Amino acid sequence: MRNYEIMFIVNPNVADDEIDKINSQVEGIITSGGGTVVKVEKMGKRRLAYPVEKFRDGSYVLFTITATGDVVKETERRLRVMDAVIKYLTVRMDEEIRRQEKIKAHRQKRALRRSTNSANRQAPEQSIEEQ
Amino acid sequence: MAIQKQYYRRKKVCKFCVERIDSINYKDVKLLSQFVPERAKIMPRRISGVCSPHQRRLTDAIMKARNIALLPFATE
Repeated sequence: MRNYEIMFIVNPNVADDEIDKINSQVEGIITSGGGTVVKVEKMGKRRLAYPVEKFRDGSYVLFTITATGDVVKETERRLRVMDAVIKYLTVRMDEEIRRQEKIKAHRQKRALRRSTNSANRQAPEQSIEEQ
Repeated sequence: MAIQKQYYRRKKVCKFCVERIDSINYKDVKLLSQFVPERAKIMPRRISGVCSPHQRRLTDAIMKARNIALLPFATE
């Protein structure tokens, strides 16, 4: 099981409740394949950087999921078939998440070391003043 | 004898190292667009001063963003 992000662009002329329908469909594909949907985010309508299928705008939807490669494959196949979806992108996130946890842990360790060091340094100074 | 440079050149620093930006995400258009000049090409390291590990991640993110039409491949 890996973490993925699936982002797709829906035809701008499609209504909001239609998008919800597509979302539940995609969710169904993922859950039936044994995956779990962590988050669904509708990013709203925004301008495309370049025309896609002659559309200049599109509604973005972002899925954050945990699933196997086969589920992703199936989801991509289904997205390709859907008429309303004009573009999609799947990104693997597990390595990125792991990297960030590593950085975070490293930073915490350093901060801890720094605080103890400064505490040690301050202690003798105070004792000198007391004398 | 080495010829001394007549003007002072400011030392470039990596934005991501200085500001401690951990994740270079393809969704962060605001951040990425700082590194794509007018012609929508990726800014070279010698101009932006980004360090090589971060430049690698930046390039990756920009390419992903281009794929999903968040950033242009080229300006028309």
